Amino acid sequence: MRIKACVALTKASIMDFLQFRLSAFVMLLGNIIYLIVIYNLWRAIYASVDNATINGMSFNDTMIYLVLASAQFTFMEAYLVWMMGRAIQSGKIVLDLLKPVPYAQYLLFGLEGGNLCAFVVTFIPTFIIVEIITKGAIHIGVNILFYLAAALLGMIINFAIDFFVGTICLYTQSTWGINIMKEVVVLFLSGATVPLAFFPETLKKIALFLPFHAIYNTPLTFLTKGHEMGLGESFLLIGEQALWAVVLLIIGKIFWKLSERIITVNGG
Amino acid sequence: MEYVIELKNVDKEFKVLNRHEGLKGSFQDLFSRDYKIIKAVNDVSMNIKPGEIVGYLGPNGAGKSTTIKMMTGVLQPTRGEILVNGRIPYKNRTANAQNIGVVFGQRSQLWWSLPLVESFKLLKDIYGISDKDYKDMLALYESLVDIKELYSKPVRQMSLGQRTLSDILAAFLHNPPIVFLDEPTIGLDVSMKAKIRNLVKALNKEKNTTVILTTHDMGDVDALCERIVIIDKGTMLYDNDIEHLRSFFGAYRTLLIKTQKHPEELSDDEKNAELSKVEKIVKEDFADKDFTFSLSDEGWCSILIDENQVRLMKVLNHIQEKMKVYDVRLEEISTESVIRKIYEDAENLKKAN
Amino acid sequence: MKRLGFYISIYRKIIIQDIKSKMSYRSDFIISMIGMIITDISELLAFYIMFLNFPSVCGWTYHEMLFLYGFSLVALTPLQCLFDNNWNLRHYVYEGDFIKYCFRPINIFFYFISEDFDTKGLGQFFVGMGTIVYAWYKLSLPVTFFNIAALIVALIAASLFMVSIMNIAAASCFFLTNSGYIMVTMNKFRDYAKYPVTIFPIFFRIIFTFIIPIAFIAYFPSLVILRPQEIPFLTWFSPVYGIIFFFISYKIWMWGAGKYSGTGS
Repeated sequence: MRIKACVALTKASIMDFLQFRLSAFVMLLGNIIYLIVIYNLWRAIYASVDNATINGMSFNDTMIYLVLASAQFTFMEAYLVWMMGRAIQSGKIVLDLLKPVPYAQYLLFGLEGGNLCAFVVTFIPTFIIVEIITKGAIHIGVNILFYLAAALLGMIINFAIDFFVGTICLYTQSTWGINIMKEVVVLFLSGATVPLAFFPETLKKIALFLPFHAIYNTPLTFLTKGHEMGLGESFLLIGEQALWAVVLLIIGKIFWKLSERIITVNGG
Repeated sequence: MEYVIELKNVDKEFKVLNRHEGLKGSFQDLFSRDYKIIKAVNDVSMNIKPGEIVGYLGPNGAGKSTTIKMMTGVLQPTRGEILVNGRIPYKNRTANAQNIGVVFGQRSQLWWSLPLVESFKLLKDIYGISDKDYKDMLALYESLVDIKELYSKPVRQMSLGQRTLSDILAAFLHNPPIVFLDEPTIGLDVSMKAKIRNLVKALNKEKNTTVILTTHDMGDVDALCERIVIIDKGTMLYDNDIEHLRSFFGAYRTLLIKTQKHPEELSDDEKNAELSKVEKIVKEDFADKDFTFSLSDEGWCSILIDENQVRLMKVLNHIQEKMKVYDVRLEEISTESVIRKIYEDAENLKKAN
Repeated sequence: MKRLGFYISIYRKIIIQDIKSKMSYRSDFIISMIGMIITDISELLAFYIMFLNFPSVCGWTYHEMLFLYGFSLVALTPLQCLFDNNWNLRHYVYEGDFIKYCFRPINIFFYFISEDFDTKGLGQFFVGMGTIVYAWYKLSLPVTFFNIAALIVALIAASLFMVSIMNIAAASCFFLTNSGYIMVTMNKFRDYAKYPVTIFPIFFRIIFTFIIPIAFIAYFPSLVILRPQEIPFLTWFSPVYGIIFFFISYKIWMWGAGKYSGTGS
């Protein structure tokens, strides 16, 4: 029964997405143009130095990394904090709580379908284009499977963080500020803005110690450096991600449970 | 000027995409160019005199809001002529807006975060209301409702009733010749409804404002309207005074009978079987009379009876002779029934012509 | 002209009231302000990290790029503060609430835009100004009357371009149902305004100059101050072009609003 409800939610969110047919095309087009911009920018950056690789990153590596990070952002970022904030401010959250599925699950599966579509519409075409432009620089093998697993885990970690931050909105009544802070911090420390490889040593250490790099940096590493890594190392990375996912989900859940009474006391 | 609003053979059509069902259908729609034309308003004509309160009725999706949007200049009619205050509304929306007031459902038009009195002051500037008129209007408002305590309250903190009240006051503030009220009492409690009806009535009397009111609440109609226009599926069905409509109310009664011990537990087929049994019995004896049969939500058989044709007690006695009746209830005719009756009459009239 | 005075007086009153009411939600106000500043600082940090690895980008030095960045931040302020309601437009249209803007005897665009004054944009203004001053000092640019005047005119022109681009992006929701992605994408582009347009191949230079004119946002205007000896001819037109482009974006927005017929029945 529970699984059936989750499937129905996922299906509904896919249909909701396709309702907006033109926007699907626009989204794809926007991503391609964005890709061209970022390509030229980094080509210019690399053109201004003599070495072909900087900090172990060649132009191709950086390109692949950043473009796919952006494509990954489009399918992962579901603006959950935003959604929760709106639901809290409008009082709609009370209705959501009445659904026969726990709130976290309701949100996760309600978003998953849209994420899945965005993955197909933006990530796969972007991936193919990158592969063609770089003449097959992304190694295709077991690392793709690792990538998919890592991306899924990354999505869950991202969700858990969003859910945690969204819960903060119950206390602050401020959605925008909380959301933007979260987005900036996550994107920066996860290596989606500038690849972690370029970070100065201390900053890199801090970033690797935090969970954020598991959202973008870990999956993308499987695409850029996957073929150089041994199975043991790959599993270690996945294991670390899984650990973060579990820990963060539990923290999020506890925090939500503790905070839920705010709604029951104030009525949203 | 004899009429403040004139509509002549007005049509409004929309182009919509034919959507397919299911997940597969959603994919098909991605590339579909399969459009159809929907006639939201079809050949509507009416003339409205200054100071009238007109109830504009019809079921959901009948085309009421579309008509009002055309009268306010938001939508352009596909065909036909509309004159509001002698002006073509869509050709000069701004000039038209100066001379109308609008309250649209539960969508507050006031500044969400501002205290009410600040919203009023802004409206004063926007509509260019003179200091004297503004003061007089507020004095009038204060004499009609307890508005003073709301002045310093931001709209977002108001209850639905207070918000609706404020919206109505805001719509009358610049003393427009016409005010459109789209479902003003929706979702309000009984005392708030009464308050709002009294307010609208008083403002209409005091300022001779024409009011166009759409509603699903017959209480609003009873309390306010002298004249009623009914529309369904875009077509006008009825345009006459309220007395005429009341004659429908007076003569019709609804008889509800329970023919099984627990009708709510029956399947739909079984319920319908009960209904046709009752229908057959009634029609046996009163073959020349008109009835409307339907099922209530709880599975009771409902019979709409025109008492000018046949007394309700006679029908009930007859049924009781023929079958077991567990319980009986009498109801005044509902709004829906009146309107449905009017549709049926309109259909019959069409057939007769 | 009398009309203009009328609109200005109404706008002033709305903004004063709006700021007053925003101030009463103090925690939101402060958190938003901090969020804005953190965003800007993280971008500066990204710049810093990039220039740790690469000494220059296409012949542009760290401080020159900082100048461009600060310039684009300041030019962004009017968009952020005055035109922020554009971000809500698609929700109003989607939920049918946009109709409420159609019943007043004033310009719909004005009425809609005037409804929200976004105070957090001010934080951005100060970060941007600070960056400009710092870069100005580090580049030892001369402080002349011409330079200051040019900076102000250039900032105004740049603002017009930013506002216009987002106006058009927001107006897309009148034609498409879920136009959020257009706004997000355009916003990203706008973000690229802080890079010199010369890094792009000729085809895109043309697009970014004439179709999506992000080159006018920071690049062309900054040249006047940074590299007065190599100003392209087009730069001198940027204020005029900015006004024209704003007018076009306004017309598109109004056309969309006219087309709008409300999704609710």
